[in-house]
Amino acid sequence: MTRLNLTLLLALLVSALYLVNIQYESRRLFTDLDKAISDAHKLDLEAERLQLEQRAQAAPLRVERLAKDQLQMRPATPAITHYTTYSEPSASPAQRNTAGRTP
Amino acid sequence: MIRSVPYTSSPLLASRTPVWRSKLVVAVVAISFIGLAARAVHIQIIENAFYQRQGEVRFGRTLALPANRGRIIDRNGLILASSIPAPSIWAIPEDVPRDDAQLTQLAHLLEMPLADLKRKLEDEDKTFVWLKRQVDETVAQQISALALGGIHQRKEYKRQYPEGEAAAHVVGFTNVEDVGQEGIELSFDKDLAGRAGSRRVIKNRLGQVVESVGEQISPLDGRDLQLSIDSKVQFFAYQKLRDAVLKNKAKAGSVVVLDAVTGEILALANYPSYVPDKRRNLSGEQLRNRAMTDTFEPGSTMKPITIAMALEAGRVKPQTLVETSPGRFNIGGFTISDTHNNGTLSVEGVIQKSSNIGALKIAQKMSPQEMWNTYTALGYGQKPQVQFPGAVTGRLRPWKNWRPVEQATMAYGYGLSASLFQMAQSYTSFAHDGQIIPVTMLKSDQPAVGVRVFSSETAASVRKMLQMAAAPGGTGPLAQTLGYSVGGKSGTAHKQVGKGYASNKYRSWFTGMAPIDRPRVVVCVMIDEPSNGQHYGGAVAAPVFSEVVQQSLRILGVAPDMAVKPQIVAAVEESF
Repeated sequence: MTRLNLTLLLALLVSALYLVNIQYESRRLFTDLDKAISDAHKLDLEAERLQLEQRAQAAPLRVERLAKDQLQMRPATPAITHYTTYSEPSASPAQRNTAGRTP
Repeated sequence: MIRSVPYTSSPLLASRTPVWRSKLVVAVVAISFIGLAARAVHIQIIENAFYQRQGEVRFGRTLALPANRGRIIDRNGLILASSIPAPSIWAIPEDVPRDDAQLTQLAHLLEMPLADLKRKLEDEDKTFVWLKRQVDETVAQQISALALGGIHQRKEYKRQYPEGEAAAHVVGFTNVEDVGQEGIELSFDKDLAGRAGSRRVIKNRLGQVVESVGEQISPLDGRDLQLSIDSKVQFFAYQKLRDAVLKNKAKAGSVVVLDAVTGEILALANYPSYVPDKRRNLSGEQLRNRAMTDTFEPGSTMKPITIAMALEAGRVKPQTLVETSPGRFNIGGFTISDTHNNGTLSVEGVIQKSSNIGALKIAQKMSPQEMWNTYTALGYGQKPQVQFPGAVTGRLRPWKNWRPVEQATMAYGYGLSASLFQMAQSYTSFAHDGQIIPVTMLKSDQPAVGVRVFSSETAASVRKMLQMAAAPGGTGPLAQTLGYSVGGKSGTAHKQVGKGYASNKYRSWFTGMAPIDRPRVVVCVMIDEPSNGQHYGGAVAAPVFSEVVQQSLRILGVAPDMAVKPQIVAAVEESF
């Protein structure tokens, strides 16, 4: 009878220690999972921020301002546009090079 | 030497004690145990919930899960407004170290003078003081790198507007609490805001989350909103408007571009405008969404509507002749005059030359009630049905109160007032085959379901007249574009000052559509107080119309319906 009691007591002790171990593991993994979810959320926000920055860099008003100020460009108007007619490419390569070039 | 005595024969124990003493002790001990048992029952069973809750309070935390505010995107998916994290810095004044070197560093990062910072941290009784709200993420990281005691951060979001001033009036902005204040941010605030969630967790001694307890309420993120606005069309509308206002040294201007098939608002721009990200020192002039909130007398823009009414009712035909000489007309004690004596005009000619007397005579064939009904059906004097704040109703008096002279002046657009937006919507009746269509700010792929105001034939006749008005020989030849046929009506008016009109202040506008036989867009341009020599609508607003139409139709991918020719435009025939 005592042997049974001793065996059961041993089993109880082993399972108790195992329980503590598993509970600790579970909490550690949960912490890691929570941290990973939080990092994923941070990366989502970062992606959104970068997308926004990309759009802001390419915004038409900014492009217009840079073109005018830094590149000294001006908008094309009919007054400075010259229309040419397309001529058929001829056999000679020299002529083919000069056809279709706008002055 | 004490001789040990066996326990059983000890003389001390032989004395006779009263039985009740031992019974008393037993009773007292028993009662104590019962008391303990009762207490245990009380704690474990009766007040179980209370004590469990108390215990949970010690280690359980409710974390709020904030909802992301929805983005606002244009019809092609380009971002018009989006939220990015921008932590706010707060402090507990008591815990902040009084080290000048560190405080100077902090003040430098917060971009405020050291004196201001010290003043905020003065009152040690306060447990919560905002230092700066919504700083950049990088600055917040530098502040936390300083590792000052008593300085904490709270996660907040800031709204960014990449389009800047081009789309400012449409998109609007939010305040620091992320609540919409103007524009689409305001009218769709509930949809964009979403709902915060929460989760209950257990935190350990180090502050890490170790276990999730109970149900998690997921946050409901704000819905992304896709507008009907096309950012490229919006940008060109704003750019051309801005250039024209500056060139004409005008006070302000507005442009509205509507899709004539689906009723979507493709662009709505005003000048002066503001950058929504930088809202210090804003003036009311910049904030006003003039296209929606400013009303004025529509003037010559009403002439096509008057003529359409008369054509619809069969009172005139397009070739009916109207006598407008000698260029002056007396009615009810007032004299109404044209800019030139146009002689005898056909009904088409009345629009082409923009004759007030011609319009007046045609209107006299209608009854006030008929006129009022048509104006109301076209949206004048009615609150615009659009999901946008601040759209004004304009003014159209009841027909019973019209005197004959007022019926006459209404024919050419005086005596009633409307906003540029109402004008644009009323012209969709000509563009959409005689039906006025509802206007929407949200992307819509279906063609709009309109309400018939004119027949198809009447609408087609009026479109032909509008094309004549925008051609050489009309009042708005500068409205022509390269490759697209256009039609439209110019308008010019003295501005009202007090009870009368200012003799040297004008407002010029142009309303039209393109391409003229199957219109895709309706464009309305208004320039307020041009003061660089020109002031007629055909000279000031028509060129803006031409450029906006050119860009809009190109962006929409509409093929040119006329041969592309360089423009040779004769002198503008001036007329109100």
